[in-house]
Amino acid sequence: MEQFLNAFALAFTPMSIAAIGLGSLVGLIFGSIPGLTFTVALALALPISFSLDAVPAIGLLLGTYIGGMTGGSVSAILLGIPGTPSAAATVLDGHPMTRNGDASLALGTAVIVSVFGGIFSLIIMIVSVDLVSKVAIGFGPAEIFALVLFGFSTICGLCGISLIKGLISGVLGLMIMTIGLDAIEGVPRLTFGSVNMLQGINLLVALIGLFAVPFIVEAFSDESDRTGGPKRMSNIRPELPSLRLLYQNVGLMIRSALIGTGIGAIPGTGGAIASFLAYDNARRFSKKPETFGKGNIEGVIAPETANNAVTGGTLIPLLSLGIPGDPATAIVLAGLMIHGLVPGPALFMNHASEVYGIYIAVVLAYVWVLGLQLLGIRIFVHVLRVPRDILALVVLVLCAIGAYSIRNSAFDIYAMAIIGVSAYVLVAVRIPITPIILGMVLGPTLENEFRTAMMLSEGQADIFYTSPTVIVFFSLAALVIVFQSLSELKMKRKEKQKVNVSNA
Amino acid sequence: MTNRMHDIILGLLLLILSGVWSWLVIDTIPSGFGEGDIGPRAFPLIFGLFLAGLSGLLLLKAVLSKPDELKLSLAGAAHSVIHWIPAGLILIEISVYGYLLKTCGFVIATPVVILFVMLVNLRIRSAKMLLGMSIGITLTCWLIFEKVLGIYLANGSWINIG
Repeated sequence: MEQFLNAFALAFTPMSIAAIGLGSLVGLIFGSIPGLTFTVALALALPISFSLDAVPAIGLLLGTYIGGMTGGSVSAILLGIPGTPSAAATVLDGHPMTRNGDASLALGTAVIVSVFGGIFSLIIMIVSVDLVSKVAIGFGPAEIFALVLFGFSTICGLCGISLIKGLISGVLGLMIMTIGLDAIEGVPRLTFGSVNMLQGINLLVALIGLFAVPFIVEAFSDESDRTGGPKRMSNIRPELPSLRLLYQNVGLMIRSALIGTGIGAIPGTGGAIASFLAYDNARRFSKKPETFGKGNIEGVIAPETANNAVTGGTLIPLLSLGIPGDPATAIVLAGLMIHGLVPGPALFMNHASEVYGIYIAVVLAYVWVLGLQLLGIRIFVHVLRVPRDILALVVLVLCAIGAYSIRNSAFDIYAMAIIGVSAYVLVAVRIPITPIILGMVLGPTLENEFRTAMMLSEGQADIFYTSPTVIVFFSLAALVIVFQSLSELKMKRKEKQKVNVSNA
Repeated sequence: MTNRMHDIILGLLLLILSGVWSWLVIDTIPSGFGEGDIGPRAFPLIFGLFLAGLSGLLLLKAVLSKPDELKLSLAGAAHSVIHWIPAGLILIEISVYGYLLKTCGFVIATPVVILFVMLVNLRIRSAKMLLGMSIGITLTCWLIFEKVLGIYLANGSWINIG
């Protein structure tokens, strides 16, 4: 109890509260601008944390991380361009909600469920840090491969009108990510001797291209259907989610938060996988699956809850074992070590007050994020007042800045342009874009984990069927594929009947 | 052009792409050494073959379908019109922007590209608007990103004015 009171005293100093608030604000800004990642924001915040005490310093870093994770939804919902890869799944229903005039509702719901997901995962982390870290650390390459394969099976649900075209789209995403230096053996793949090609296609650059460039082309097209764009401010209802709406979706929020926490606890996975899995889960168990992709609020709730629940999940291996799940948490780990907080079981014994202080800092960061974003919604939606073609012009400049700033390379801008225009053509011929993203997000992990597993087993494939975890994930993947195929067959039969009726 | 025709052309193009991809993969990427080393070639090759199979299926489905079947299908909504000229222009403009960023830096490249886009794509002729937008967007971005957030914006290799 005394340690807990000490933690309160450490976390509620004016400096701590201000540092967490600053981190949350910077994270929100970086997260909401496509291309500017919260990893960059964390790298910028790290030197500032040197001069602070441990709890405000880690609070600053965690605030930036949490703000960035939440901020990605702003541009995803308003412009249809995800600020971070974790927000890619939010675009699917968030942006259609904006088109329907419900931008304010989508943004409000996104931030509230994000806070729920984050705090839920923190509670899970506190009560089950030992157990979850033991389970998560048991995930070897074969288990992660099986998990990613299960994640990939959700592609069937994102194919839209044609399963074949959806699968083609997914394979294209997988192919794009194999270009560049091979991560395991360092062999150049399809680089044609170009030094720039060695670095491969950056996921964020590809995301900006896939979402932003088709938007720009459509806005600049003379004959484009301007009524299809976001409606003006006067048409937007300044509406926040009602308690009833949130209450109706509590089950979905808990399911998505559990998915996010579980995925976050496994190093090397991340928010994008969690949000796609949660989205697919929401669609599968929804009473109105046919409205997904057209502005169903559940399609915003699931990915936003899950990607923020990842923040609590990643803290499990980070604090208990010192294993960072992604580059962002690696910077938080550096911050911990700089302040003498060496992760591991001893951390909870030797620095209990600081650890509790960090937990309180996470809650404070979410309070800041909630306040800042709820206040910000009124400002954010003003973006929709800007005429669509002028907005596209500004988006073009922002995307170029974002793509360039990732690696300070003009090559990324060329890559963004080529991928973007190709995406525009693909969309026009009804090839869905989402499976490409899934392919790009999961492709590198899928390949690297499979190859590592095969190396570990010296070429014996039994590594993939002797582990119960692997079998569980393979079975889940098979179930998803069978159910999806059955539902597609059912839908086609219905459609044929309707066509026959209309012909008659 | 009907959806069926679109799908036939798309299937053919993807089939060619998968063929070229697979040939390049076999020709340029070494295979593994065995004993568990799958090698860097396996996955790109498998993906190429998957694409070949799927595009073959798409082609077959389109060829075998009756001309009006796809049109009548309720789910198979018509393909959108592709605006090739704006798409090509955007491709050129973004590429030129990248090149100018590298050579002339953000402060020069941005107003030049904005002016060009406003004149060519948006057909805006008001001098006040052209100057205001190009200088305004450039300055605002420079102030926010370079000065407030500390993000590195491109400095030109030919001309560098910060």
